[in-house]
Amino acid sequence: MTPELKRRMDAMCELCDEVARPACVVQAFDARQLPLDLPGNDIAEHLRDACEVVLFAVTLGHGVDRELRKLAATDSLGQVVFDAAATAAIEREASRVEAKVRLDAARRGLYCSWRFSPGYGDLPLSVQPAILRTLNATRRLGITLTPSYLMIPTKSVTAIVGVHPTPQPGLASSCAVCNLSEFCELRKRGATCGSNSRPAASR
Amino acid sequence: MANSDSIHAPKDRLESRVTRATDGYLEEVLAGQKPLLFDGGMGTMLQKAGLAAGAAPELLCLTDPTKITAIHAAYVTAGSDVVTTNTFGANALKLAEAAHAAGLVRVPTVTQVFEAAVACARAANPRYVAADIGPTGSLLRPLGTLSFDDAYDLFAEQVCAARDAGADLVVIETMADILEAKAAVLAAKENCDLPIFCTMTFGEDGRTFLGTTPEVAAVTLGALGVDVLGINCSLGPADVAPLAERMIAWSPCPVMVQANAGLPSVVDGQTVYDIEPRAYCEAVAPMLRAGVSVVGGCCGTTPEYIAGLRELIATHGPTHESRPVSTHPFVVTSAQQPFSLEAGQVGVIGERINPTGKKRLKEALRTSNYDYVLGEAIKQERAGAQVLDVNAGLPEIDERATLVRLVEELQGVTTLPLQIDSTDPAAIEAAVRVYPGKPIINSVSGKQESLDAILPLARHYGCAVVALTLDEDGIPSTAEGRLAVAKRIVAACDQQGIAREDVLVDCLTMAASTNQDAPRAILEAVHATKAELPGVRTVLGVSNISFGLPFRELLNATFLTAAFAAGLDLAIMNPLSQRFMDAVCAWRVFNGEDQGAQAYIAANAGRTDGASSAAATNASNASAAAQDAAASNVSATDPHTPADQVQSGVLEGRAETVSKATQALLSEGVDPLAIVNDVLIPALDRVGDLFEKGTFFLPQLMASAEAAKAGFGVVREVASASDVSAKGHIALATVKGDIHDIGKNIVKMLLENYGYQVHDMGRDVDPQAFVDEVVRHHIALAGLSALMTTTVPAMAQTIELLRDQAPWCKVMVGGAVLNPEYARMVGADYYAKDASEAARVAAEVLD
Repeated sequence: MTPELKRRMDAMCELCDEVARPACVVQAFDARQLPLDLPGNDIAEHLRDACEVVLFAVTLGHGVDRELRKLAATDSLGQVVFDAAATAAIEREASRVEAKVRLDAARRGLYCSWRFSPGYGDLPLSVQPAILRTLNATRRLGITLTPSYLMIPTKSVTAIVGVHPTPQPGLASSCAVCNLSEFCELRKRGATCGSNSRPAASR
Repeated sequence: MANSDSIHAPKDRLESRVTRATDGYLEEVLAGQKPLLFDGGMGTMLQKAGLAAGAAPELLCLTDPTKITAIHAAYVTAGSDVVTTNTFGANALKLAEAAHAAGLVRVPTVTQVFEAAVACARAANPRYVAADIGPTGSLLRPLGTLSFDDAYDLFAEQVCAARDAGADLVVIETMADILEAKAAVLAAKENCDLPIFCTMTFGEDGRTFLGTTPEVAAVTLGALGVDVLGINCSLGPADVAPLAERMIAWSPCPVMVQANAGLPSVVDGQTVYDIEPRAYCEAVAPMLRAGVSVVGGCCGTTPEYIAGLRELIATHGPTHESRPVSTHPFVVTSAQQPFSLEAGQVGVIGERINPTGKKRLKEALRTSNYDYVLGEAIKQERAGAQVLDVNAGLPEIDERATLVRLVEELQGVTTLPLQIDSTDPAAIEAAVRVYPGKPIINSVSGKQESLDAILPLARHYGCAVVALTLDEDGIPSTAEGRLAVAKRIVAACDQQGIAREDVLVDCLTMAASTNQDAPRAILEAVHATKAELPGVRTVLGVSNISFGLPFRELLNATFLTAAFAAGLDLAIMNPLSQRFMDAVCAWRVFNGEDQGAQAYIAANAGRTDGASSAAATNASNASAAAQDAAASNVSATDPHTPADQVQSGVLEGRAETVSKATQALLSEGVDPLAIVNDVLIPALDRVGDLFEKGTFFLPQLMASAEAAKAGFGVVREVASASDVSAKGHIALATVKGDIHDIGKNIVKMLLENYGYQVHDMGRDVDPQAFVDEVVRHHIALAGLSALMTTTVPAMAQTIELLRDQAPWCKVMVGGAVLNPEYARMVGADYYAKDASEAARVAAEVLD
C-alpha cells in the first residue's frame, strides 16, 4: 500500500470520528415483566433463567449517513473506507454499552449473556418496532425504521442482554445462531468475527 | 396544469386559505397579542397510571377513555387553555404496528382513534382541543425510504380525521426532519382551515437529529404560513431558551415552547426527569420576556408544572407586543443552513446547473448520471456560490421528474439553498413542494398567464420569486418600461400577500454588442426598481452583456461592478469565473459587507496581477501541486516507457502519474483506443488478479480504479466520445427493501472505470422502475445487490419482471447473503462475488 493511500484511509477514519455523534438509550426490565414479546426459540434460550433483561439502542446519528451519501457522489474509495470505519465504530459503541451493562451486573454479583440483536438466529427483524417503542428510541435518538425493519441511521444497533444469577458460558456471540455462517469468508479461513484471534490465513 | 393530478393534494390546494379560529381569544393569540397555555406530558401521566413502556398509548382512547379524560381534566384543573389529544402516533403506519403488537385482530382506523381522542379531550371541558400529530416514525428520502407523497397521505388522513372530529387546532410536534414537518404542514393547510401549530425538537448542539437549526425551522415553517411555530421536547427550559430566542428573530408568527422537565433517567423501571416544577417555571420566565407567547410542557411535565406556568403567565402577561421582524432581510434556506442578505449586501447565485449550451451536463441528465451534476454543485459551493440555480429544461427528458430527483440528490451534497428554474409551472410546483426549506422560484414574468400560474405557487409553498421585467409585448427597451412591468408584478405579489423582500426583480441583461444603449437602460432600471419599489430585491443574470464580444469575462466583471453600484443585490453567475468572483470580493470591501476587508485580504494578500485563483484555494492547490510535482519528478527520471508508467501508476493507485504518462503516450502519437485496450485495461485486469489472489485489498483495488479513471479521462478529451465510450450500458440497483448499497457502489465505480456506461438506480429500488430503465435504454446487462436474507425475494421479483419485459437483458447478482446456488434460485444468469468478478461478467456479456 502506498503512503498516499494510507493517508487517505487515515483521513477517512478521522472524518468518521468527527462526524459520528454516538448516543445510546439503555433500560433494564424485570425478566418476568418484560413489556414486549421477543419471539423465537433462540432468544428464549439465550434469556433462560435470566432475572433481568436489558434492552439498549445505540447510534452514530444521521450525520454519518449524510456523509456517506456525499462521499458516494464524490469519492468512492473514501466512501468504502468511511463506511468500514463507521461500521467498526458502531460495533465498538455497542460493545462499550454491553461492557457497561456487564459491569453494572458484576457489581451486584450477577452475570450477563452476550448481546443478542434482532436478525440473530430466529429472532426476527420485525421485533424492531417494539424495541424502539419500548426505549422511546425514535424520540430520544432519532432512530427510524424502513418498512423492511432496517434502522436509519444505518449505523445503529439494538440489542438484548440477559442478566443472570449464574455465570453464562462464553462471552462472544456464536456462529450457531448467525444467519450468515454459511457464506462467511472468515469461517472459511477458520476464524470468527467474535473471537480476538487473528484469521488463520494470516498466521 | 396538465401534470398536477399526480400531486397528492386536493385540486383547490392553491386557493388562498383563511384560518378559522374558534373564538376571538384564539384570534388574538394567533395575532401574538394574548398568551396561550397548553398542557404537559401525556406519556408521563400514563406511566404514572401504570401504562407499560412499549404499549401504544393511542389505543387507550378506545379501550380506556375514562383514564385519558381524567388526565386531560387534571390539566384543565391546573389551568391549561388547550389540551392535546392522545394521538401522537395515530397514523396508519404506526397504528397497524401497534395493533399487531397488542395482538388486536382489527386495526382501528385513524378516524376512529381521532374521534375517540377528541371526545376524551372534550369530556374534560377545556377551552380548546388541539389535535396532536407526531412524526410518522419513518424517515423520508433521501436518507430514509419513505416518499414525500406517502408521508403527506399519512398526515392528510390524520388532519381530515381531526377536522371531522371537531378539533379546534392542529399541533404538529416533535419533528426532527424539516421535510416531514413540511409534508405535515401542507397536509394541514390543504385539508382544513384550522389554525396550524408546528414545533420541532432540538438536541444539545442546537440542531435536530437531521441537522436543522432553529433559524431554518423558523424561516421554513414561517414561509409555509403556519400560525404558530416553535420548539417542543428537546431539553429542559433553560437549555431551550437560547434556541427559542434564535427562532423569535426569524419568526413571522407567535413562537411556542413546550420543553421537557430536564433529562430523563430510569429509576426502578420508571423514567424520571431532573427538573422540579418550580425550577422549570423559573427557567420559562425569561422566554416569556423574550417574546414566547404560547407555552406548555412535554416529557416529564405534569399538572403541577402547568399550574406553575398558569401563575407565571398571570404575572408576566404577554410582554412582547410587536415581534421584531422589522428589518426584513432577504432570506431563503436549505434544510441545514439559511442564506440571508441584509440591505446593502450582495449575493452570488451559481448558474452552472443548466443544460443550455452545456454538452456534458445534457449528456449527464439524459443518462441519469447525477454524480456529474452533484460535482458541479460542489464546485460552485467551494467557489463561493450562496444559492444554486437548478434547471433541467431539456426537450428529450421528463423535466418535472428530473427536477424533483435533482432537488433530492442535491440535498445530499450541498447545504446551499436552491433556486428552482423552469418555464413549466407543474415542474416548479413538483420541485418546490418537496424542497426541504424555502427555495427561490425562477421565474415569474409580467405576462398575465405567468402571474396567474406562478404567484399562487410562491405564496402557497412559501418561496421567494424572481420577477422578470417582460410581458406580452416582450422586454421593454427602456428603464421606464422595465420599471413599469416590475411595478405591475410587485402589485400582483402584494395582492397575493407575498412579502416584498421575497420578490427579486430581474431587469434582464441584453447584449451590449447588439445595442450599446442596453447596458445603461439595465443599470437605470435596477436603480429605479430599488428606489421606487421599497423592500424588493434585484437580481441579474449578468453574462449576457458580453455576448458576441471577445474576452467576455472582462466585460462581465466590469458590468457586474456597475450593477452592484446601481443597487443589484444578487448576481446569477458562474462562480467558477475568477474575474466574476474578484468583482464580488472587491465590491464587498466597498459596500462595507467585508468588515475590515478581512476576506479580501485573506484571499488576495501576496497575489500578483495575473494570478488566477484566490489565496485560500491557492494555498491548498500549491501544496497539492508541489506533491504532484515531486511525484512526477520521480517518474520523469523513471527509465521506463510511458506505457510502463501508466501500468505501474494504475497498480500503485497514482492518478497523477497515470494522467501524465497517458498524456505522454498521446503526444508520442499512440492511438487512443490502443492506450485503452493495450495499456489501461490490462493494468486494471492485473489489479483484479491481485485482488482475487488476496494480495490486494479493496482500498487498493479502488485506488487503482481511480488512477485508471484519470487515464481514461485524458484519452476521452482527445478521442471522440463514440471511440471510447461505446462499451455498453449496465443498469445497477440495490433491491427494494434494502438500503445497504456500498457493494453496489463499488461495483459501479469499477465498471465505470472499465469504460461502461452505468445507470445507477440507487437503493431500495422499485422492481418496475428498474425494469422501465432497462427497457427505455435497451440495456444488455443488469446488476442487482441485496444484503439481507429478507430482501432476496425482492431480487427474485425484479428478475422475474425483467425476464418478462426485457428478455434480452442478462442479470448478475451479488451481496453478502448470496452464493452461486442462491443466485440460480433467484433466476440470475451470473453470480458476482465481488466487484472484480462483476467486471469480468460485464466483459463476457458486453465486449
